Amino acid sequence: MSLNSGAAHPNDSFADIDRQLRRSNLTTALRRLTGNGFLYFIMVVLALIFMIPLLWMFTTSLKTRQEIFVWPPTWLPDVPQWGNYADAFAKYPLARFMFNSAVLVMINALGEVISVPLIAYAFARLRFPGKRILFIMMLSTMMIPGQIKLIPLFSMFSRLGLVGTYWPLVLPSFFGNPFFIFLMVQYMRTIPRDLDEAARIDGAGTWTILYRIILPLSLPAVTVMLVFTFLWTWNDFISPLIYLSDFNSYPISVGLAFFQGRYSVEWNMFMAATLISIIPVLVLYFFAQRHLIGGISTLGLKG
Amino acid sequence: MWYRSRKISLVLFALLMLIPFGAVTLAQDVVTIEWWTVNSEEYSEEVQRALVEQFNAEHPNIQVNITVLPESGFTERMTATLGAGSGAPDVAFFWDNNWFPQALDLTSYIEADPDLDPSMYFEGFWNTRAVWQDKVVGLPLGVGANFVMYNKDVFDEMGVAYPSPDWTTEDYIATATALTDPDQRRWGGDRPRGPFRAIWRNYGAFPYSDDSTTIDGYLNSDAAVASYTWLWDLVASGATPTPADIEILGTEGTGPIDLFLAGRLAMATLNQGHMLTAIESGVNFGIVPEPQVVGNERYVNAFSLTASIWAGTAHPAEAYEWLSYWVGPEGQRFLMDNGHLFPSLPDVLADHANADKDYVQAFFAVLELRQVAEWVNAHPCNGTVLRAAVDAWDLVNLGEIGRDDIKATLDSLVDPAQQALDECVARLGA
Repeated sequence: MSLNSGAAHPNDSFADIDRQLRRSNLTTALRRLTGNGFLYFIMVVLALIFMIPLLWMFTTSLKTRQEIFVWPPTWLPDVPQWGNYADAFAKYPLARFMFNSAVLVMINALGEVISVPLIAYAFARLRFPGKRILFIMMLSTMMIPGQIKLIPLFSMFSRLGLVGTYWPLVLPSFFGNPFFIFLMVQYMRTIPRDLDEAARIDGAGTWTILYRIILPLSLPAVTVMLVFTFLWTWNDFISPLIYLSDFNSYPISVGLAFFQGRYSVEWNMFMAATLISIIPVLVLYFFAQRHLIGGISTLGLKG
Repeated sequence: MWYRSRKISLVLFALLMLIPFGAVTLAQDVVTIEWWTVNSEEYSEEVQRALVEQFNAEHPNIQVNITVLPESGFTERMTATLGAGSGAPDVAFFWDNNWFPQALDLTSYIEADPDLDPSMYFEGFWNTRAVWQDKVVGLPLGVGANFVMYNKDVFDEMGVAYPSPDWTTEDYIATATALTDPDQRRWGGDRPRGPFRAIWRNYGAFPYSDDSTTIDGYLNSDAAVASYTWLWDLVASGATPTPADIEILGTEGTGPIDLFLAGRLAMATLNQGHMLTAIESGVNFGIVPEPQVVGNERYVNAFSLTASIWAGTAHPAEAYEWLSYWVGPEGQRFLMDNGHLFPSLPDVLADHANADKDYVQAFFAVLELRQVAEWVNAHPCNGTVLRAAVDAWDLVNLGEIGRDDIKATLDSLVDPAQQALDECVARLGA
């Protein structure tokens, strides 16, 4: 009899069977452990590889300018220059820039949360003439590269007298985002209509169905939307650059660009500032990863 | 009597009522000028704000509103606003020649200005950065130039003599080779990443005839072949980093300064901005002009930034007031004394705090050389032909053609380049 099979022979004594079972369980456990260990090993190696840029960023932030490109490359600086962090903050108002980014993120997130479910619900559930054409038109706006829209949008906001304010950076989010609307529509379509109908029989109106039935069930999609809004707004460089004029109103994405001079880049301070600037993103990911991964897998998003 | 006093009272009342309106009118007389600039090694955001405060205090009728943009985003913002036709600043850098058509012609303002004379500026920079198609499209702020910076510590370590200002292109290869140390991944020097740099011109190479009609005999001339052959020899020496090395190890568009600071590039063709960085980093360096070709005129890649008034400004007179202050003697002196600007005005530059330093003297000497840009700006179709020259340059740089194939390669580029030139001249003129 194979020890690995775990099956007992009819002539075996009870003690033999017990022994065989124990051995079999042990082998399975060992095999599981070995298999898991191998998987963990691969994952740790991959994680380290993915972390190399971050580690390099960290060590560079502690080096002098001359040390950064020496040969052979050094992981650790001779004398860690912790002062690079203080210098970076002293050189530019990074805390102010990060606060501005946070304000933009919050307003944009609020805008998306208000507008996207409303629009998506209409497309997913309501019946109205031209719905299909409107949906296609909305989707087609996703195909237009941002660079093409840049000058017309600037012209429009300029004529509205909104250049130099945060309005051009937050106003569009209150009118929906085609990508998020598309996601939300697809998600809402997976929610059984029976729930709507049951609620309607119980006397619920459209608004109640949206806000008390559909939206709570769409939490994974909303999480994905919020995280993406955070990341896109936090990292957006070109829009604030185009629309803002006051130095103290710049977000961190623009603020970091000041470390690149006309002739050189202060890599050590740039890395110090960048490392600080990505902390909120890492914190957000840490807390939202469960919902985010769940949401992404549910929505079929990749990359 | 009562009637008269009532009349006087009414007049007085009316005058009193006008006072606030008068105040409003006075307030409206203050013109706000929007000024966009960049944060740079030569003029920090702080120094430029101080300059604006000084100007605003001296000119109560004009208030300059400063917008400091990152260097890496200035072009995008200017392109967007100029493209939109609204929202562009009254005064800004117009460093892209494509923006010149939207710059105000300053000719009449300069003629009427007793304090500003074009002869105050370095002639070469005035010709290349202020004048465009017979119009004065801006004023040149600051001066810059390429030169070879060498790391004295590396020279001392390798026992190689410092280069002298009259060195030749052959000296460059020999020196770079002597300084190269493969074990330390250190290269002796860098290599020109494109043609039509000073060295190419020093060989007397020229892409087409001065009347912009003929390619044959110019792009493939003996002088051009000699310059490409020099590059081939430099590449073959192994004394320079490859284009891939520079791309990976160098910074984005900022030259091989990082390798130079790290001591991995013993000589590098850099500029006055890099010089400031090297001083700040405590590198022991010297400066010489780019090597010459004996018997030929010597050139320099020099540059300045054009500061202009947007043609769509609602306040051209006030904008000119600010522009001529900023880029005139007063502003450039302020930026030199409080920042690190090298002014485009020789009289002001002469008062530079470090004018007695060797490296600054060497920089001043480079500025006296003839500028490569003089030809570039004089020929609207230069880019069309230079593309062909770049193709051949790249082939040599990548080691894809043999030394004896250079002439044939250049010959093969003549016909397509001629066709492109003819088409361009038909559109833009010679």
